[in-house]
Amino acid sequence: MKKGLVTLIVVAVVVLGGFIWIKNVYNRMVTSDEHVQSSWSQVENVYQRRADLIPNLVATVKGYAAHESETLEAVVAARAKATQVTVDPSDLTPEAVAGFNEAQSELSAALGRLLLIQENYPDLKANQNFLELQAQLEGTENRIATERMKFNDAVKAFNTSIRRFPDNIIASVFGFEKKGYFEAKAGADVAPVVEF
Amino acid sequence: MDIIRGISLKTALILIGAVFAMGAYALPSRPEPQRLVNDLAGIFSSRQTAELEKNLVAFDDSTSNQITVVTVNDLEGYAASEYATRIGLDWGVGSEKFDNGIVVLVKPKTAGSYGEVFIAVGYGLEGAVPDAYAKRIIENVMIPHFRNNDYFSGVSDACDMLMKLASGEISEPRESEGDPSAVFVTLFALFIIVCAIIAIIGKNDSGNGGSGGGSGGRRTIYMGPVITGGRNSGGSSFGGGFGGGFGGFGGGSFGGGGAGGRW
Repeated sequence: MKKGLVTLIVVAVVVLGGFIWIKNVYNRMVTSDEHVQSSWSQVENVYQRRADLIPNLVATVKGYAAHESETLEAVVAARAKATQVTVDPSDLTPEAVAGFNEAQSELSAALGRLLLIQENYPDLKANQNFLELQAQLEGTENRIATERMKFNDAVKAFNTSIRRFPDNIIASVFGFEKKGYFEAKAGADVAPVVEF
Repeated sequence: MDIIRGISLKTALILIGAVFAMGAYALPSRPEPQRLVNDLAGIFSSRQTAELEKNLVAFDDSTSNQITVVTVNDLEGYAASEYATRIGLDWGVGSEKFDNGIVVLVKPKTAGSYGEVFIAVGYGLEGAVPDAYAKRIIENVMIPHFRNNDYFSGVSDACDMLMKLASGEISEPRESEGDPSAVFVTLFALFIIVCAIIAIIGKNDSGNGGSGGGSGGRRTIYMGPVITGGRNSGGSSFGGGFGGGFGGFGGGSFGGGGAGGRW
């Protein structure tokens, strides 16, 4: 009789302990997942901000350097391509993030070439509107760098939490999957070379 | 056995992680004691540092906007914008509620390198200090002074302008977690303790009055100062040098706003 009661209490404690543990781990992962998703939306915001600046920039440059049409068209095409690539925040797989990153870095490279042509057009370089746009673009690039960094930190925390033993058992039961980082593309940190 | 191995493995991994983290963030860690002017490059005199600190602390007290000045001799390979933003994030400049911090970073010009300056603006102040304004302050106020090697005037004038801009957006006096309430809490705690001691002693006198009760009473008396001492330091920091003192960074966040320049 007494032995049965002790067993019952032990079983109850183990079940309750197990439940609390699973609940805590699961809820922590959900919070971490939400954090990653909100960081992602910030990333998309700042990239959108950059995309919104481009039409004005292109129009301003066109006024001074109309025959640089190749460079201008490259920017417009890269922008169109980059804005088409969207990622579902609830499905941030490494492939999806890498695809997004690639489209955006192509736009970065095209923009870099566009900003370089100002060296050949002193009037453009001195244009107040162009200077303002350039300052805004610079600020946007800083924000992109910051939000990417925050997103990477959030993903790192999430990926660590779902891979750590024994939490990884719960992660696989509830279907939490590894999320993608922003990785610096090879050569992305090298400024395009001016050729005369 | 397995459990022990698991734990030691975990500890090892955490240690390795900590080492990596230290390697990755070669940024100055949050100053201890916390202060708003961090002249790590040594370009201000001690009187200039004290004056600037006093102004910035007063501004923090009256509006809750935190402007911190950081000078370094080396950006450790970071871009100035990233360096300043990371300092803002790591230190938590500004309050958590308003994200109203500003980091003014100055790397003085040396024989072999450009001078660089960046004003990083917290999320909450991006409306009050747009990038273009920050840029104007740098180009029109700071760099002309810096070119004359007058770092203090440049930074001080820039801070004055930033204060004007920031106070237009957020102007919430700090909740008086300072002297009055701290003193009140201390007095109240003392009062309770004295009451408790009187009650214990009274009980002992009327009851058995043994030696055990006596020593218990004395222990309570000894604990008094310990408890009130703890309250004191937790409530606020009574800075020694300047009346008031800086209450500490509040956990504000940065999104990369602001502008920079070089000369």
